[in-house]
Amino acid sequence: MFLRAVSGITCLILSVSAFANDPWQMLEKTAYAARELNYEGQFIYQNGNQVRTVQITHMNNGGREFTRNMVLDDKPREVYSQGSDIVIFQPRNQKVMIEKRRGQNLFPAMLPTDLQLIKSSYTARLSTTDIVAGRPAQIIDLVPKDAFRYSYKIWTDSEFGLLVKMTLLNNHNETLEQIYFNQLSMLNSQDLNWFQPKIDVSKNYVIEDAAAVTRVTDDWIVAQLPPGYRKVDHIQRSIPGKSGLMNQVIFSDGIASVSLFIEPITKGKRPKMGHMLIGSTNICANVIDGHQIIVVGEVPAETVRQISKAVTFKKQTANNQ
Amino acid sequence: MKDQLSALIDGEFEIEDSEHIFTSIKSGGELKEAWHHYHLIGDAMRGNMHMHYDFSARVMEALEAEPTVLAVSNNEVSEQVSTINTIYKKIPFKGTKVWSIAASVAAVMFVGLMVMQQQFGQSEDLSPVEIAQSMPMEYLAAHQAAAPSGSAYYIQTASYTEQDK
Repeated sequence: MFLRAVSGITCLILSVSAFANDPWQMLEKTAYAARELNYEGQFIYQNGNQVRTVQITHMNNGGREFTRNMVLDDKPREVYSQGSDIVIFQPRNQKVMIEKRRGQNLFPAMLPTDLQLIKSSYTARLSTTDIVAGRPAQIIDLVPKDAFRYSYKIWTDSEFGLLVKMTLLNNHNETLEQIYFNQLSMLNSQDLNWFQPKIDVSKNYVIEDAAAVTRVTDDWIVAQLPPGYRKVDHIQRSIPGKSGLMNQVIFSDGIASVSLFIEPITKGKRPKMGHMLIGSTNICANVIDGHQIIVVGEVPAETVRQISKAVTFKKQTANNQ
Repeated sequence: MKDQLSALIDGEFEIEDSEHIFTSIKSGGELKEAWHHYHLIGDAMRGNMHMHYDFSARVMEALEAEPTVLAVSNNEVSEQVSTINTIYKKIPFKGTKVWSIAASVAAVMFVGLMVMQQQFGQSEDLSPVEIAQSMPMEYLAAHQAAAPSGSAYYIQTASYTEQDK
């Protein structure tokens, strides 16, 4: 049974009725609904031949978001996030590994609340209606304006605006990946007792150590990005026992994202070249000025290829040792 | 007894009945370890990963510094329990400073792991190898872990965390 969380929803419903036929307005509501509503359910993620089932509980408590994702198959794990901070508990043999990460837009909060970037690269169209997890849903197509990204289909709950399903399609209209609720209910509780890991007294808990990182001036630039992509993050890591740094730069067009890895080539190590496809992910490797360049993304091959060739180095530096 | 410690932390065990737990923590062994683990979990959930080593050490020192008593006074017990409660019962974070991960900590997340994995396959032959010949799973994992819309995150092969000692 669907119970309305007290705050927020009423005004969401009011605001949407005025723009019932504007797909961008509906997508904006969808972006906020995932973050503001309280809900629990189960969703399925499919990519290639891989399938995962995840149980989710999400609560917005006074403007702070709490989410618990429990991955049920393969390697079971519990993922807790508050805002953009994520802690993962993953049992392995006699241990439980604790891993910390920075935030991402996890399902169903996959749309950014600011849609400007998406608007510049995609056209939004109202499509048909459907039923997902027993709920009526409106389908919205996000159609790319060029060949540097795939298209998306977004199912948004007709009443609450929550994203209930999303598929990624290539330019032959083949589904590359999909994620959807198969159970969903709204919560009207503010009880956060579920937001702590179940402690297994028979296991050892170990925090995965992270390498130390120092910021240095970059000696490289990415000359020409495919249209619509912006740099959204830059992570630098030291490489144990080496003087060089590993760089990971993340580009996004608002919904699709690409990671660029730059690292000095280690002596005696064969650099990687070429292209490969894993599920919906294209990976492209290149060598530029003694550096290994690897580009990874759920985007067309041409997009990763272009980025892998766009890195230029200002000059040889100590990074190359 | 570990179950009792767990229950105590969950607030499902009477403080009055738990003196033996504290006595046992002090005397070392399994329960002392379990106590360590709970602190680790609490630290992780509160974003204090960077201080988990000395935090645990401090707690243990404090415990060891106390005289070993067979019957812990009620005051002492409730003090210790309130420490536990502060750490665990508040995990739902009504406080203000919880989970405020320092930017530096956020930036290093999940790292080192992937670079360590790249040390395999050393060879004197420097000619490039086709990427498809050596599956770069560590890059895929790093991408999925950091990408803004990481639905592929759920697929992630746990392989890059396989750094068992």
